[in-house]
This record gives sequence, C-alpha cells and structure tokens, in this order.
Amino acid sequence: MMRTRQWAIVLGIYIVAGLVGAVALWWLTHALTPIFRPLKGANLWAAVGGSVAFWIGLMALLHRMPASVKKRVAVVVTFVSGLFYVLEFYLPKKSGIFFWRTHHTNPFSPMLDTVGVATLVITGFTLLLATFNLCLVHGKNIAARRTGYYNSVAFYLAFFAMATFGLWQNHAPTSKLFASKVTVAQVYGYLFNSTYVPLGSTLFSVLAFYMATAAFRAFRVRTAEAGFMMVAAFICMMGQVPLGMWLTHTLPLHGPLSHLRMESMANWVLGVFSMAGLRAVTFGIFVGALAMSLRIWLNLERGAFFEQEL
Amino acid sequence: MTLEHANLLHVGFVAVISAIILYTILSARAGRKLFIRRIPGLSAIDEAVGRATEMGRPMLFSTGLSTIDIDSLQALAIAQYVARLAARYGNRLIVPVVDPVVFAIAEQLVREAYASEGKPEAFRADDVRFLSDQQFAYAAGVMGLINRERVASTFFFGYFYAESLLLSETGQEVGAIQIAGTPATTQVPFFLASCDYTIIGDEFYAASAYLTREPTLLGSLVGQDVGKGLLLLMVVLGTVTAVPGMPLHFISKWLARWLFGG
Repeated sequence: MMRTRQWAIVLGIYIVAGLVGAVALWWLTHALTPIFRPLKGANLWAAVGGSVAFWIGLMALLHRMPASVKKRVAVVVTFVSGLFYVLEFYLPKKSGIFFWRTHHTNPFSPMLDTVGVATLVITGFTLLLATFNLCLVHGKNIAARRTGYYNSVAFYLAFFAMATFGLWQNHAPTSKLFASKVTVAQVYGYLFNSTYVPLGSTLFSVLAFYMATAAFRAFRVRTAEAGFMMVAAFICMMGQVPLGMWLTHTLPLHGPLSHLRMESMANWVLGVFSMAGLRAVTFGIFVGALAMSLRIWLNLERGAFFEQEL
Repeated sequence: MTLEHANLLHVGFVAVISAIILYTILSARAGRKLFIRRIPGLSAIDEAVGRATEMGRPMLFSTGLSTIDIDSLQALAIAQYVARLAARYGNRLIVPVVDPVVFAIAEQLVREAYASEGKPEAFRADDVRFLSDQQFAYAAGVMGLINRERVASTFFFGYFYAESLLLSETGQEVGAIQIAGTPATTQVPFFLASCDYTIIGDEFYAASAYLTREPTLLGSLVGQDVGKGLLLLMVVLGTVTAVPGMPLHFISKWLARWLFGG
C-alpha cells in the first residue's frame, strides 16, 4: 500500500504532467490546425490514403505492445484528453493570463471543433466494428438455421435496403428507378417515414399499457411507504384531470381554503415536496459523477478499466 | 442559456469538492478504516446471479442509451463485476449495447472478466452485441432477447429514457429478478414500480466502490458524502441568508450582485 508521502509525489507528478500537458496540447492543437483545412482533388485522396496508412500502422503497433504498455497508453491518452476539456472549460473565455494572444482569449476554445472531429473519426472506427458484429450475429443465425432465423433474414433485407437507398439518395436523390416516376429519395423517404417511424411509434404506444400494469403493482398498499406513495399519486393524478378539479371546484380560488383545491394540492406535492427530494438526489448525482470522473481521469478507478496498479 | 465557460464560483466549488474527494482517497490508501452503509440493490447482485445459475438460464445486462460518458463507464464497471460472477458460476451474460463505442469497450471488459476467472473459452462473442443506436429499435431488440432467451435475471444500469419501462416490464413478464440503477431521475419511478431492487441517485456511482471494496473507491465514496454535506450546508446557509431581515442577508445580496450583476 502506498504511503501518503508517496501519494504526494504522485500528485506532484500529476501537477507537472498537467502543466507540461497543457503546453503540449496548446502547441499540438495549433500545429494540427493546417492539417484540418478542407482539401480537394489529389490532395484529398493523398490525405485519405495517408490517414488510413497512419492508422493501420498505429493500430498494428498498439496491437503488438504488451498489455501493461497498452494500459499506460490508455492512462496517458485519458489524462491528456480530459485535460484539454478541463482547461477549455475552467479557464475563462477572455483573461489577462492569456497575455500572448492578441485578444487575450482562451487558446483551447478554437480547437473544440477539431477535437470534436477527431472524436468522430474514432467513433467511425467503432461503428464499423459494431456493424460487423451485428452482421456476424445474424449471419450465424441464418447459417445454423437457429430458431427464428427468419428474423435475421429480415434484418439483412432491411439493412441492405436502408444502406443502399440511404447512400444512393445522398449521391443522386432525383435518379429515377427502372424508368418509373419514383425517385431514389422517395423510396428512402418511404422506407424511413412509412416503415421505420411507425414501428417506433407503435413501440412507444405500448408504453401506455405497461404503465397501467406497473401502476397496478406499485399501488398495492403493503407498507407505510407504499401507502404514502399511493396518497401522493392519487393527489397528483386527481389534480390534473377534470374529475379531480370538479370535486373541489366549490372551494374559493383565493384565500386559505384555496390551498385545499385538488389542483393546488397537486401543485404543492409536485413543486415543493417532490421537487425538494428531486433536487437532493440531483446534488448527490452531481457529486457522484464528479468523483467518478476524477477517478477515471486520474487513473484512480479500480476493479474495471484500470485493473492493475501501474 | 448554455454555459460556455465556468465562472469563478464553479471553479471554486468544483476545486473544493475535488480536493475533498482526493484527500479522502489518499487517507483511505494510507490505511484509514472506512465504513459504508449497506445498499440492498447492490448486495442483491450476487443473489440474482446465483438464482439465474440455479435455474440454468442466462442473464441480461443493459447499459442504457448513453454514449460514451461517465454513466456508461460506471455501468460498464458494474457489468464487468456481473460478468466475473457469471464466469465463476459458469453462466451466460448477454450484454446488448446501443452505442458503437460502448460496444467496443463492453466486449473487451466482458472478455477480460471471463479470462480473469480462468474461463476464457466460456466467453461467447455473440453475447455482447450491438443492436441499434435508435432508442425504440434497441428497446425492441432487448425485449426480444429477454423473451427468446427467457433470462432469469436482468440488470439495468446506465442512463435510460422512455424505454426503461418497456424493458423492465418485459423482464417482469418472464419472471426475472430485476435490479436497476440509474442517475435519470425521471425514470426512477418506472424502475421502482417494475424492478425488485432499484439504486437511485448517487448510489449508482457508489456501485464500483461497494462491489470491489477497494480502498481508493471507498475513500472516494466518503469524499462524495463529505461533498454532499458541504452542499447541504450551502443550501441551509443560502436559505437562511436569502430571507430579508436576517442578520446575514447582506451576504446573499452581495453574492447575487457579484455573480449575476443583480
């Protein structure tokens, strides 16, 4: 177990690494800016080819590294990436501390878009991996004729139909299909708006039935807590339907007795009683998320992502 | 209004709470004994895995709709713990995923979990699967999996939206023991109504500390509690000083003028 003095050294290393990292990030982000300008023609294809070759080389190199080195790389990348966003957000937008910049503006802010694009590129890699997994799972279902394999056939039909017309409509949306009046964009629109959207809506509508069954189970009064929940739910429900409002409509709109009107009681339960609890939970979530973020950022998480101490 | 940059209050507040959390982590690492209360939902994870194994049916773990963020990372940490238990007992854990990045990490974590229990051959690549990045397509996929595989236990950890009730009610229908944990306050009532155990609020972020009992994580948990205590103190002080006529009312007036120019 590390002692406090050792931990102080580790914290010192973090601070030094942070300062060095901040300077390196600033330099790197500015050095990379010219690379991310729009390219055309041969330059574009040269850039695409170069990027692909660079990534293949990098991936091959990472793949050959031992697990401990890979984890160190992950730790450094996590720290530097986190540092960028911390510096960008917590340093002011404009301040005298950025004396070397013309308008004294935050030097990291202009690079947000570039870093966002870099993140998108990495996401693109994983999308390919995820799509491959999806095709593999369904391909195995069909090959082995597993129960319900026809669902996998439906997946392939839908996948290729959406992919074909989706890509085609971006390239030539007004192309006619088989000399008919129907265009590619219309077919894609039909597949999306008349097939996918209604299916989503159908599933969403099922929620109403599930709500009824869940409410039936939740409102069975077995304990004191369930009893309180039942009373609160009854007040809130009645305060929002005409019948509930009608029950207390004879009470005055103003004065002390107006607080006993069903809609007033419902508003009080939601706006005061429930809101207080909700905000307390939100405070807890905020602090919990901060602690978790710190653990991930500073490589203090144990049990999962950083299993072994480095 | 979107917050483009933190103001001085944000910086100060986050710095103080971060310092508290780091201090408690350091003192825990130095050997300080820490106590954390029992969280029934997290204690029930072992029971749920055991029950599924006895019944000879697989388990399902959903990480919700989050893309790669702190909620999904916490959910994945819990998933790895469940996967380890599944590997130890020789059971299957199905992990359907909504986000491609989360999928890549989930596959690696579950694979590592089986390997760390000495059963790398028991890991089935098909069990960690990307379904769709669309909310209801994903929900339909998970509902289908729960029904087809007749899962005995379901775990819903992560950030959920309207699909929470669709998933948990389907689990109810097949008689699965269900444990949910989410920081999404709007979905907590649905999970409470349809799951056997529900972990709410910051208990979700306490999960990895509770499950692993690692000193670093326990220290972080105690730091969280101290941070919450500080917030509570600020709420009380703010409430007291905000009332006109109170002796310290000038503090809140000065703060309001300083922060908001009011």
